[in-house]
Amino acid sequence: MTTRGRPSPIAWLLAPAALLFVLFFVLPFGVMAAMSVFSGNPVNNPNAFLTTRHYERFVFDTAGIYHDALWATLRIGLITTIISLLIGYPLAHWMARMQSRLGHALVLMAVIAPMLTGIVVRTFAWMTILQDKGVINTLLIQWGLTDKPLPLMYNEFGTIVALVHIYVPFMVLTLTGVIGRIDERLEQAARSLGAGRLRAFVEVTLPLSLPGILAGSLLVFALSISAYVTPSLMGGTDVLTLPMLIAQQVGTSFNPNFAGALGVILLLVSLAIVIAYNRILARLSGEQGLA
Amino acid sequence: MISRRKALHAGAGLAVLATVGAPSILHAQTKTLKITTWGGKWGEVMKGTVLPAFEKEFKCTVSADQAFPFVPKLQASSKNDPIYDVLHTNSNEQWNSFTEGLVMEKITAKEVPNVADVYPYAVSDKIVGVTIFTSAIGLGYRTDKGLTKPTSWKDLADPKLAGARGGYIIPVNSLGQAHLMMLGKVYGKGLTDLDAAYKALEALKPIKLVDFTGQMEKMLLSGEVSEGVIHDSGVYRYEGQNQPVDFAGPSEGVLALEQVLNVTPGSKVKELGFAYIDYMLRPDIQKMLAEAVWYSPANKKVKLDAKYDAKLLTTEAKVATLIQPDWKWYNARKEDIDARVTKILKG
Repeated sequence: MTTRGRPSPIAWLLAPAALLFVLFFVLPFGVMAAMSVFSGNPVNNPNAFLTTRHYERFVFDTAGIYHDALWATLRIGLITTIISLLIGYPLAHWMARMQSRLGHALVLMAVIAPMLTGIVVRTFAWMTILQDKGVINTLLIQWGLTDKPLPLMYNEFGTIVALVHIYVPFMVLTLTGVIGRIDERLEQAARSLGAGRLRAFVEVTLPLSLPGILAGSLLVFALSISAYVTPSLMGGTDVLTLPMLIAQQVGTSFNPNFAGALGVILLLVSLAIVIAYNRILARLSGEQGLA
Repeated sequence: MISRRKALHAGAGLAVLATVGAPSILHAQTKTLKITTWGGKWGEVMKGTVLPAFEKEFKCTVSADQAFPFVPKLQASSKNDPIYDVLHTNSNEQWNSFTEGLVMEKITAKEVPNVADVYPYAVSDKIVGVTIFTSAIGLGYRTDKGLTKPTSWKDLADPKLAGARGGYIIPVNSLGQAHLMMLGKVYGKGLTDLDAAYKALEALKPIKLVDFTGQMEKMLLSGEVSEGVIHDSGVYRYEGQNQPVDFAGPSEGVLALEQVLNVTPGSKVKELGFAYIDYMLRPDIQKMLAEAVWYSPANKKVKLDAKYDAKLLTTEAKVATLIQPDWKWYNARKEDIDARVTKILKG
């Protein structure tokens, strides 16, 4: 990106983003990865030595909770992503094809409105709805439909409900942009050649919107597997995810080295899933490297 | 030869330099004490009254960090130039910090004269640093659910309370950890009888578990929980607000939730740190904070108003009901205990 040895204007424009990436991702990740292979903090503990024990602790899992936590993290991420996609896709499609500008603006506002409230507030709102003395259980008991409160909270169900509510807007906004750019006439052409509404959607619109599905899914999956507040508040003791374990190790067990190892493991596993997902979607759409 | 205009310019430049430089010169002469402290009502009183008075008396500035967690930040800073001069935490975290060489072992009357007036528990062998206040961990309960006032820790296991009893996510909350040890004492051979404690914990299911005491207060107030483990201050602070909640100290004893101050060995203003601890142990400061947040003062000479004196631990006899867990012992086994209780409480 240089012109006769001088950086081009594009390079200057990219510099702040690159600097942010290095300062707030590469550097912290490097520190975390380095800490994960030491017995203590090598900066202020001269006796800290190189070790693989934190990774061994996870791999051999003699405590019997780490593998479960990883699986729970991925399971919650996958289910949240799938439900967000199922809810978000029809909504995004409707928004993208809406003729009325006012209607589009109103739906867009409805989608964005929850994002104006913090995640903690939205999670507490779900707690007041789903807890034993919450809105749903109180009504069900009052109406005589049940005599005991339904277990709507302090489990994976409640966690996923709250996560889906929080992350659906990310899916909708990502998909709306992609679907909006698909030429409607392609679908019309398919229908004029005899395809039904469903077949035209499945064979034309859906494949063309795969980049949006990929981008939205990756965004929601990444946010879900790294969520801390919502699983902590909504999950009770039934839900233990890796971000919760990492926070525990840093904040109450004061073991940043094992927390670093858990962070590296979560990142590597997530990367493997993202690469596999990318390849599967690329194969489905007949292209290579969608993302 | 310097012209008049040049001389005026030079003078103006010097004046600007002096104006800009003055605060930093002044700042360099004023010592800064870096401390940790709680937020909420405690933080309001500290920042509004206690700390400004300390700054004025000791001609220093105090930088107070209220953002948890404190110990990881201390761990990450250099031991020779620590991020805090005085660490205020509960006892379990002080023991972790001491094990890593981040705080001193003992604070004596030699460094802090008011230590001579504290109750023995405040400087017992279960404490590193010095305790300035304590709360009593016992049982909070709703008074509008037809429950009799609990008299024993065993009352929490009453089948009537299934699904309406409250506890803590043990790996992340010291009240939960202290309660686990108490289960060992009540159902087994003592605070360190973990097998008995695990068995008793299993019997408490179904139980609603929370991360922090503020959540437990809200669960009790909303009726989500009818009876739960909580510290006395977490219930007494609602006195006069017409809330149907009360606190009970079980007959087996209440657990101590100590507020501990300690100095970091690498602090550059250690003497000022000791002076701060001494100041926090002064009877007038102790009374002000105790009555603001319902903490029991560690200084024996404090005379509280009757309303507070009736409920808080302000006599040798009341203080004798306090049970202090051995956090050094607990912390050494924390990883194993965390894994075990996580499995017990899941599902």
